[in-house]
Amino acid sequence: MDYNCRANFDADKKAWRVAISGEIDIYNSQTLKDSLGKLIAEHAVDIYLDCEKLEYIDSTGLGALVAMLKKVRQFGGNFHLVNVKASILKIFKITDLDKVFVIEGEAHE
Amino acid sequence: MNNDNKVAGEVIELALPVNPAYVSAARLTASSIANRMNFDIEEIEDIKAAVSEACTFIIRKSGRNDVPGKFSIVFSLDNEDLKIRLLSEVISGEQQAEDNDFGLMMIKALMDDVVISDTLEGAIQIDMKKVKKVLIGF
Repeated sequence: MDYNCRANFDADKKAWRVAISGEIDIYNSQTLKDSLGKLIAEHAVDIYLDCEKLEYIDSTGLGALVAMLKKVRQFGGNFHLVNVKASILKIFKITDLDKVFVIEGEAHE
Repeated sequence: MNNDNKVAGEVIELALPVNPAYVSAARLTASSIANRMNFDIEEIEDIKAAVSEACTFIIRKSGRNDVPGKFSIVFSLDNEDLKIRLLSEVISGEQQAEDNDFGLMMIKALMDDVVISDTLEGAIQIDMKKVKKVLIGF
């Protein structure tokens, strides 16, 4: 299973709303990083990543998100993760990344 | 119906190319085996993630070889636990000090016994085990 990423710019909230689905691993994590990087280059604003349909993310995917978090932080922004599945939230907790990302709402599996 | 006694003692071997495209195949296999062994949903996710991270670890290290090769994953099924061994080919060249910290952190947190070692020949071996939770009834 690969992944899909749809992004919309919310002009009212001045934020990127990105819906991600599928699985992120070593095969496609660089692609995700590049895609998110392009969004930030276009508009340096907060990112809201809707993870409701994200089935799996590995350590390389986490690394990609951390790299984007650092970019967003450079201009004082935040990286929000929304509707994260319990199995994925567990990975964020194991790596202590639940302390650096803003995690809002949990998806029901 | 408890089918544990039908899987105990069985060994499943997977040989994969050192290619990120097939890590998902390892996840699917691990998931399928763990499900057959009646691990619960959370344990199946743990095993799937740990196998994926172990594959990623080996692929990253093996990528330094001039010629991409293969690595193996051996699943040994027992009544009480699942043992998994990954073995790379010989890794040539100097080992870089930097490792995928998140990946190793995840493997060690998700599995019950984890040993990562270099073989005498210079290959990487990852041994890990997942023990079934004991359900205590009243």
